[in-house]
Amino acid sequence: MNELLIVILLAATLGGVLLWLLIPGHKSSGTGGPLLPPNVNDVLSVTKHYANFPQVRRALSADDSRYLRENASPQVAKRALRERRAIARHFLNGLHEDFSNLARLGRIAAALSPEVSREQETERLILTLKFQLMYSLTWLRLSTGNLPLEQLEHLTGLVEKLATRMDAAMAEISAVSAGQLRGGLGA
Amino acid sequence: MNYLEIVLSWLTLAFVTALCGFVFVKKLYRVLPFFSAYSFALLASTIGVWLVYKMFGFNSLAAYYTFWTSLLFNAAMRSLAIAELCRYKLRVYRGIWGLVWRLFVGISTVFFLHASFDTWGQPNRLAIYALTLDRDLDLASVAILASLLLIHRYYGLSLEPFQRTIAAGICLVCAVDVVGDTILKSLFTGYLFPFLGAASRTAFWFSLQSKFMQAEDIWSAFHLLCFMTAMGIWCYALRRPIPRQAEAPELLPAEVYRELSPAINLRLSTFNDRLVELLKP
Repeated sequence: MNELLIVILLAATLGGVLLWLLIPGHKSSGTGGPLLPPNVNDVLSVTKHYANFPQVRRALSADDSRYLRENASPQVAKRALRERRAIARHFLNGLHEDFSNLARLGRIAAALSPEVSREQETERLILTLKFQLMYSLTWLRLSTGNLPLEQLEHLTGLVEKLATRMDAAMAEISAVSAGQLRGGLGA
Repeated sequence: MNYLEIVLSWLTLAFVTALCGFVFVKKLYRVLPFFSAYSFALLASTIGVWLVYKMFGFNSLAAYYTFWTSLLFNAAMRSLAIAELCRYKLRVYRGIWGLVWRLFVGISTVFFLHASFDTWGQPNRLAIYALTLDRDLDLASVAILASLLLIHRYYGLSLEPFQRTIAAGICLVCAVDVVGDTILKSLFTGYLFPFLGAASRTAFWFSLQSKFMQAEDIWSAFHLLCFMTAMGIWCYALRRPIPRQAEAPELLPAEVYRELSPAINLRLSTFNDRLVELLKP
């Protein structure tokens, strides 16, 4: 009886997934092939949300928190904390957007390449799944107030440093790659 | 066969004939030769089995062998049609196709091996083999179609409405077959008899038997209805002119991917590293 139940459940699950994917209007049901973003450099440089790091960092700074606790009324301090958490969530959403854009560019490049590396694709898939999981956990912890904002402040500092370093490293690659992409599309 | 089953059988034959008519008129065999072959195989096996029933009787040995052989034959043709559907669009994306065809072969092999192990040493061999193979091929088909759609979605490729409708019909046939085959196989191998109770030798069983036969009739009618729905879906997809296959996209030089992909992955992993640090207690 176990086998019967397992197979029926498996068939129902797979059938459900298929029907969900077959419903018109999903991303998979578009009419064209993969489209490269208009400006590859924009996606590659990924500075859209990094650019806001100094402001986010300031908004989340421990000094600000201390100042609020010491000088503002409890009601004001509480509201300020709530707003700071909202900023932190926006920042996280921005990170998610940056990540998604970059991952999408990787997938498009793979789709349009005559050769694809299994290792690279597997690695990207794992990285994407890992990011989704950690993003959800972080978002949940932020929403429930379980994640001290100071930790996020530390993150913004790290990312800021990293962004500068990575942008320098990526500039050369993106210049070559974007040139080739344009060349390849124009061919 | 009761009156309802006879009516449904005739209707099924009419649907299969209509499908083959569409395939022939729309010249589908030029675009999807294996799916066209599957449609004609369905018609041939439906007529063949019906003729054998007429000539040798429903309970004859010839009917038994013809039915189970045609079941396997149809499953094999359907598998080829699915393989064709997978290749239809993805072959123009050479890199992705080179990557995923192994996945599809892997899924099929796993289910094929499972079927072989599952039927080893079972009584009623042909029926068990045919049912188990059919069921596992159906499961593999649904898994492959799901993977195909997920891959299209993941890489931002489009699946034309025509292909989507064909896939939906195949999905329906496979999902219903999986359930039907599993129930039948369980009956053949005796898994369900203990469930029905040791009552099979008592008067209670005889009173239950009619209910059981009634349930079997209902299932049979449901199965035929689903099969006809799938035919209807395929006929609906074929009502319009068959879309021409989209032109192959202009592929990029291989160096672009070789340089871009590791750089992107490196960048993505830094995002993850930051989140890991954030989540550390």
